[in-house]
Formats: sequence, C-alpha cells, structure tokens
Amino acid sequence: MDGLSLQWYQEFFNDSALRDSLFASLEIATVTMIVGTILGTMLAIGLVRSRAKWSPGANILMLVPLVVPEIVAGISALLIFSQVGLTLSIWTVVLAHITFSISYVTVVVRARLASMGTETEEAAMDLGATRWGSVRLVLLPGLWPAIVAAGLLTFALSFDDFVLSFFTTGEDVQPLPVRIWSAIRFGPSPTINAIGTLMMVVSISAIGLALLIPRLFGRRESGVKVLTAAEGG
Amino acid sequence: MSEAIRLEDVSKSFGEYEAVKDVSLTIEKGEFFSLLGPSGCGKTTTLRMLAGFEIPTEGRILLEGEPVEDVPPYERNVNMVFQSYALFEHLDVADNVAFGLKRKKVAKDEIRKRVEESLELVSLADRAKSHTNELSGGEKQRVALARALVNEPAVLLLDEPLGALDLKLRRQMQVELKQIQREVGITFVYVTHDQEEALAMSDRIAVMSDGEVVQCGVPEEVYEHPAEAFVAGFIGVSNLMEGIVQGKDKVKLASGQSVKAPLPEGCDKGEKVQLSVRPEKITLDDFERGMVTLEGTVAERVYQGVNTQVTISLGDGASVVALEQQTYRASADDRWEPGAKVKLGWHPDHCLVLR
Ligand SMILES: Nc1ncnc2c1ncn2[C@@H]1O[C@H](COP(=O)(O)OP(=O)(O)OP(=O)(O)O)[C@@H](O)[C@H]1O
Ligand SMILES: [Mg+2]
Repeated sequence: MDGLSLQWYQEFFNDSALRDSLFASLEIATVTMIVGTILGTMLAIGLVRSRAKWSPGANILMLVPLVVPEIVAGISALLIFSQVGLTLSIWTVVLAHITFSISYVTVVVRARLASMGTETEEAAMDLGATRWGSVRLVLLPGLWPAIVAAGLLTFALSFDDFVLSFFTTGEDVQPLPVRIWSAIRFGPSPTINAIGTLMMVVSISAIGLALLIPRLFGRRESGVKVLTAAEGG
Repeated sequence: MSEAIRLEDVSKSFGEYEAVKDVSLTIEKGEFFSLLGPSGCGKTTTLRMLAGFEIPTEGRILLEGEPVEDVPPYERNVNMVFQSYALFEHLDVADNVAFGLKRKKVAKDEIRKRVEESLELVSLADRAKSHTNELSGGEKQRVALARALVNEPAVLLLDEPLGALDLKLRRQMQVELKQIQREVGITFVYVTHDQEEALAMSDRIAVMSDGEVVQCGVPEEVYEHPAEAFVAGFIGVSNLMEGIVQGKDKVKLASGQSVKAPLPEGCDKGEKVQLSVRPEKITLDDFERGMVTLEGTVAERVYQGVNTQVTISLGDGASVVALEQQTYRASADDRWEPGAKVKLGWHPDHCLVLR
C-alpha cells in the first residue's frame, strides 16, 4: 500500500455481495429504528402515565434486555425462532433488534417524560384539547428531541450489532458486520479496513446527531446521558 | 348577581383517604373567591374538581346552573392557571395564548386580535414572539394568565399562581391580578395558603381545614369574627387564652384573672372556652374606659420597625403577644424591658369567645 487511495472503497462497492450486505444492514437499522422507537415511546408513555398495577413490574422487566449479555439474548432469540418455525432471514434479525431496542428507547423517552410532569397535558385539556389531542399537540412535541435521539441511537446500535445478528441471520444476505466477520476468516484485506471506516462514520454520525438534536431544540435533558451510562455499564 | 358555581355536599376520596369532605359553597358571578387553608387541606383537589380533572366521589357541582360532575375538562367553560404555569415549551408566547382559541376553531383574524388584546392586558404585547424559556418567572405567570383569560371562561381557576415568585414581585402581581379581574369581570376562584394574600385580594374567603370548609365570608368577617379557634389561629396572629365561664359575661382565665367577655348564646357556667384577642387590639400601660385590664411580666420584646412585638407572661404558663405602634409619644426602646411589670388591656368588644 502506498499513499492515500480510494481504491479499496471502490473495490468494496464493486463487490456485489458486500454491497448487498451494506444495504441489508441499513434496511435492518432503519426498520428497527422506526418500529423500535414507536413501540418504545408508547411503552414509556404507558409506564409513566398509567397507574396500572402491573407498571412497576413492567418497569423492571424492561431493564432486563439492557443487562442480559448479548450472547444470551442472541441464543435465546435463535431458540425461539426455530421453535416457532421461523426461517432465518434479515427479518428475524430485525425482529431480534426491535425487541432489544425497545428497552433503550423506553429508558431515554421515559427520562424526558418524567421530567415533563403531567401539568402541561392537563393544561392542554383544560384549553379544549381532547386526551388524544393533548398527546399529539403537547406531549409528543415535548418528547420529540428525546424520541429523535433515541431513534438515532437505536439505528447506530442496530447497524453495527454483531452478536445478535450472527445468531439470528439467515444465509442469503448477511448483515454487514456478520459478512465482514466471515470475510476476515480468510485473512484480512484492505477492503475490510475500508468498510470498517465506513461503518464507523455511519455509527458516529448517528450518535453525533442523537447528541446534537436535543441541543438544537434547546433542551438540556434528553435522557441521552442515561442511555450512554446504561451502555457503558 | 347570579351564581357562577355551586358545590353541593361535594366529597372526594382517594382510596381510603377523604381529601374533601362535604363541601357546599356558592360562588357569585364576577366574584374574587379564595380557598384558603394549610398545606394538604384539599384546596387543589377542590379546584381540580371544578376544572374536571377529578370526579367527585359524592355531591354535585353546578356551573352556571348546569351540573358538570361528569363533563370532561375540555368541554367545561372554565380555565385554570397552574402553579407551575405549565406553558407549552415548544410554542412561542403568542401560540401559547392562541392554543385554546385554535381548539375552538375560532377564525384566524379573530385569534390574532384576541391574542394581541390579552397580551396587552398582561403588559406582554412586545414579547409575543419570544420563546417561553426566555421569560422570567413573573412573565411566565402573565402568559399563563393570558392563555386562560383569552378564552373568556365563565370561571378562572388559579392554584397558588404566585407561589413561585419572590415577595416583592408577588405583592406587585397581587395588585395587577386584582386589577385585571376587575377589568375583565370574570369570576376568579383563587387557591392560596397565604392569609395576607387572601385578605388583600378576595371578595370572599372560604377557610378550609382537613378537607372541610370551616368558615366562609368576607375578609373582615373572617378576620374579626373567626368562627373557630382554627380560623382565629390560621388567619393573622391570635392570642388564645383558656378559661372557664364564671357567670354572665365573666370568664376566669386559666392564669387566674377574671375578665369581662361577651359570651355567645347558650354558654353555661363552668364551661371551658377560649378567649381570642388579636395582638394589635391589646394596649400596654395606656387604657380607656371600659377596658379589661390585667397584670403581667414582659417576657420578650422584638422591635419590628413599624411596631414592637411584646410577649407578656400572665403567670401559670399563659402568655399573650401584643403589638404596640411606634408613636410620636413613645418610642419602644426604653419601654417594656424584659422582666418589667406591665399592665395590659383590651376592649371586651375585641375579645372573641370560642367554644
Ligand atoms: N391523586 C391523589 N391520590 C391520593 N391522594 C391524593 C391525591 N391528590 C391529593 N391527595 C391527597 O389529598 C390531600 C389534599 O391534597 P390537596 O392537593 O388538595 O391539598 P392542598 O390543600 O392543595 O395542599 P397544598 O397547599 O400543599 O397544595 C393530601 O393529603 C394529598 O396527599
Ligand atoms: Mg395545592
């Protein structure tokens, strides 16, 4: 290797199998982000706002995915999928990733929700908004920065996840990290380095955006801190 | 005047706990009505029932004659000013104020006009485009007020709206609130635990204790003629002295002295009562005809600028507090040294016998 060159990036894009993996990974991350964020936000609202008997239990249950070693989660997911007879494909990966990401989203959104209190929603209803109107017009706009941040983090987590994807993916198209791992087994290649750099750029941009967006909205607490703490621990 | 709100035997329980007990009140149109009481006595719960956030366990609530117990908040013609202001942070000041009108699908031009008017009313016309987190506490308070008033509700509910402000701003806002209320003529139901605030602003006050309304009346009445020892103690400072009825208009104090006091109807000899006398009604070493006089020892003297607060021990553990004006005749600094003997007195009319 001499000097700087974009040759290896070109090589990567010329390799149709690798390119398909990249697109598969982006697809998985996007679907996970959308579905996981919606479900996680709904769960957070339910947990914080309902006075139901089961909500303390659900609160603890929700933290389980954050502390269970990923390899355990991966094997469990694989076992369940084979038990119910699902054919492994990128959709089983998506399913596993969504399950996992719901907890992350819930932690982030719940933190913001708790700090908002219930009075603004009541104020909206007092001013003529229905229950749903107060959620749509006041609660969601208030939560928006936290929701966007949570979504982007979910995207980054899903995009570069290896363990969970490894256990739940099929043979046809493999997510990029799994694909890279198989390639490395036959010896390192500069193309892999190029992909590594690319993946890092994508993940860092997502996390960077997640940290930046709440700031742009002028909010101090978005719950992102909680998440980074949870990840580090 | 006709009635704006009527509560009939309203109770509210949270599980086992009864937060509001059997409250009956009538509030007239255009009245500035205060709910006053110590923390936890059920003021907020009562207000939230009026707003529709809590449904009474028992009793009826009538708004301008219509029963509304089961009407949701968004269909009631009342608006609330929350203690935390509860402004919508993602909207600017004008959009906050316009929120209620937009829900009612008022025409755009009319919304703009009314928002302008109500911001004018609270002297915030130049902040219409400001973001809510750029505002000071007092300004947020005004936005919350404008946001509620712009809807021209039948009744405005205010839950300790000045609680978060410092004392000076609070005094200023009290005056402004009262002015605004006169100007718009809307019925205000005002929750506070600050008795001075209630006395200064209200047309009528309902004093609450432990979920019950213990007295309801105009400020002078509540202050001068408290119905119970609780009211006498809660509103202003009161000297409460234990005593036993001795005969017609005669009470023997626990500290031994016999004093003249106007007994309420049906007081029997030997009955235990409490005498209540306001500190400012007690004079020291300076009497008029017909006054009750006692002797005591000065226990403490606190100079307070406008007046001096003197605590006098009557013996046997009983003591009273007197507030003496600083007059041109006498300054406080060389009188009523602690330990000195002193004569004190009050007019029997200013003494209230509580059973
Ligand atoms: N949702 C609720 N669930 C259970 N108990 C409640 C609820 N809301 C109020 N309470 C109880 O009812 C009582 C009266 O509460 P409320 O908020 O009306 O008091 P308050 O007079 O407004 O007091 P403060 O001056 O402290 O605001 C309190 O003891 C409170 O703990
Ligand atoms: Mg309260």
